[in-house]
Amino acid sequence: METKPKPYMNPYLAGFLLGLVLLAAFFVTGRGLGASGAAKSVVIQTVATASPEYAAEHPFYAEYFREGPGPMKNWLVYLTLGVLAGAFFSGSMAGRLGFKVEKGPKISSGTRLIFATLGGLLFGLGAQFGRGCTSGAALTGMTILSTAGFVTMMAIFGSGYVFAYFFRKLWLK
Amino acid sequence: MGPLIPQGFVNPDLNLFFAFVIGLGFGYVLEQAGFSSSRKLAGVFYGYDFVVLRVFFTAATTAMTGLLLFNYIGWIDYSMLYINPMFVWSAIIGGVIMGLGFILGGFCPGTSLTAAVIGKIDAMFFIGGMFIGIFIFGQFYDTFEAIYLGNNLGGIFVYESLGMSREWFAMILILVALLAFVITQKIEDSVNDTPRVLREARPSHMMPAMLMILAGFVLLILPSQPRSNWKETGADKILAEMASKQHFTCPDEIAFSIMQGDKYPVLLVDVRDPTEFERFTLPGAINIPLAEILQRKWETVFENPDLKIALFSFSDTHAEEAWLIARRAGYENIKVLEGGLNNFLYSVFIEEVVPERQRPDCLELHTVRFRENAKNYFQSGQAIKMEDKSPVPVIKVVEIEMPASGGC
Repeated sequence: METKPKPYMNPYLAGFLLGLVLLAAFFVTGRGLGASGAAKSVVIQTVATASPEYAAEHPFYAEYFREGPGPMKNWLVYLTLGVLAGAFFSGSMAGRLGFKVEKGPKISSGTRLIFATLGGLLFGLGAQFGRGCTSGAALTGMTILSTAGFVTMMAIFGSGYVFAYFFRKLWLK
Repeated sequence: MGPLIPQGFVNPDLNLFFAFVIGLGFGYVLEQAGFSSSRKLAGVFYGYDFVVLRVFFTAATTAMTGLLLFNYIGWIDYSMLYINPMFVWSAIIGGVIMGLGFILGGFCPGTSLTAAVIGKIDAMFFIGGMFIGIFIFGQFYDTFEAIYLGNNLGGIFVYESLGMSREWFAMILILVALLAFVITQKIEDSVNDTPRVLREARPSHMMPAMLMILAGFVLLILPSQPRSNWKETGADKILAEMASKQHFTCPDEIAFSIMQGDKYPVLLVDVRDPTEFERFTLPGAINIPLAEILQRKWETVFENPDLKIALFSFSDTHAEEAWLIARRAGYENIKVLEGGLNNFLYSVFIEEVVPERQRPDCLELHTVRFRENAKNYFQSGQAIKMEDKSPVPVIKVVEIEMPASGGC
């Protein structure tokens, strides 16, 4: 990228627009947004393709095959496809496309990728317990004023602040 | 009006299209806000960039206020919205694990998607990690199940948990958000050593802040009772109708209406499952499965003043349930076919009709004659022509797959 990327949107404006998107999602589905549900669909579909008998027996996977069109023809999967397209459009408009590993200055790219994988692993695991991630449980839950939404939000950010100190080398100069 | 899908307003093919369009907006805004950068996201935990808090809080308060106002105007039925259930330990443990994941990975699922698609390799690894984490949960589900399904308090509201009114809570949340914006700006400036010139050059956020507080006041001033748009029928009235069996209509009446065709304003409503309805039903009947009785798309059917409605199922159990729900919701002019389909078929096809008395009076003769006519009519196959006289298109609604145990 030769040109300097465009600056990011004003965060309060972005938040307001995100609020409108959330509102639209509630107006249409009554259930808000979600981002980790599609990943779960992919995992379940993979397991089921690898071993249909196993998936049909297993309590975690089976619920998606009892009825309906299966895990991939699902609202959250299509929402995620939209997220990918929307983000790509935004990034290309702003001149932010390009392969890179983004990391703190004190660590190597290899270290960053290991910790990124580990972080993803924990998020995938945690989102199952939390019945949703930062968008599906915390943001959507706060919007609808559910106790679960606020508790999950506080647990995510509270634990983030506690662990931040121990892993500051990953991010700080 | 809303929410559209639970009310049955959206045809399933459009349903997924909507998902894609909403996703477009979601992804676009996240990327515009800078959420495709892990270092920017991690800033919230180290004080050098609070963009996460700003976007998050603004979005939540905007959408919360919008939902409450929409509910007040009647655009959204708040009671139909999904409240994520509170499984105490599962939520806390999940949140703590996700917090650690946030620090190590520098992303959350939604933001990692926006970053991966513009070429951030670390985000692609994060997504790979997510698959592994979900798979681990699946593999050890038996071990986790007790925690996962334990201590369920159901879909409870935070203002109930705190013992305050919804509107006051909304107002307080708005004020807390504004306060957090001011404080975090100061922290950020001191962490980054922002020069004084830059600090003073910032646009004032006074106007939007005032607007948010104003919105909070508007919510407080509006009557706090959520307006349900059902004009409920009193329970005592319904009980009286049931006790006196006024809610039943007899097979003769239904046979008569079918024989009259469109000249007689009875609409037969089959409340069984669509599969059973497809197999066979009464001539001219439309299908409204029991679970869909209250969906708004049927309002036009139930509230049509020119139609009498007769509900039926195999017997009269499910039809009576449907009748109870519909009456409670304030619909008038509804009856239940006594004995259901079984009774109807028996009396029309099987039952031998003979006068009971030696010297029957006119009334009894009438009945006997009518039943003979009806039997001839139905047995000669005149009624087997299935005409579709449904006043509305029958849309099959696909529930969104987002079970309580599902992802986010």
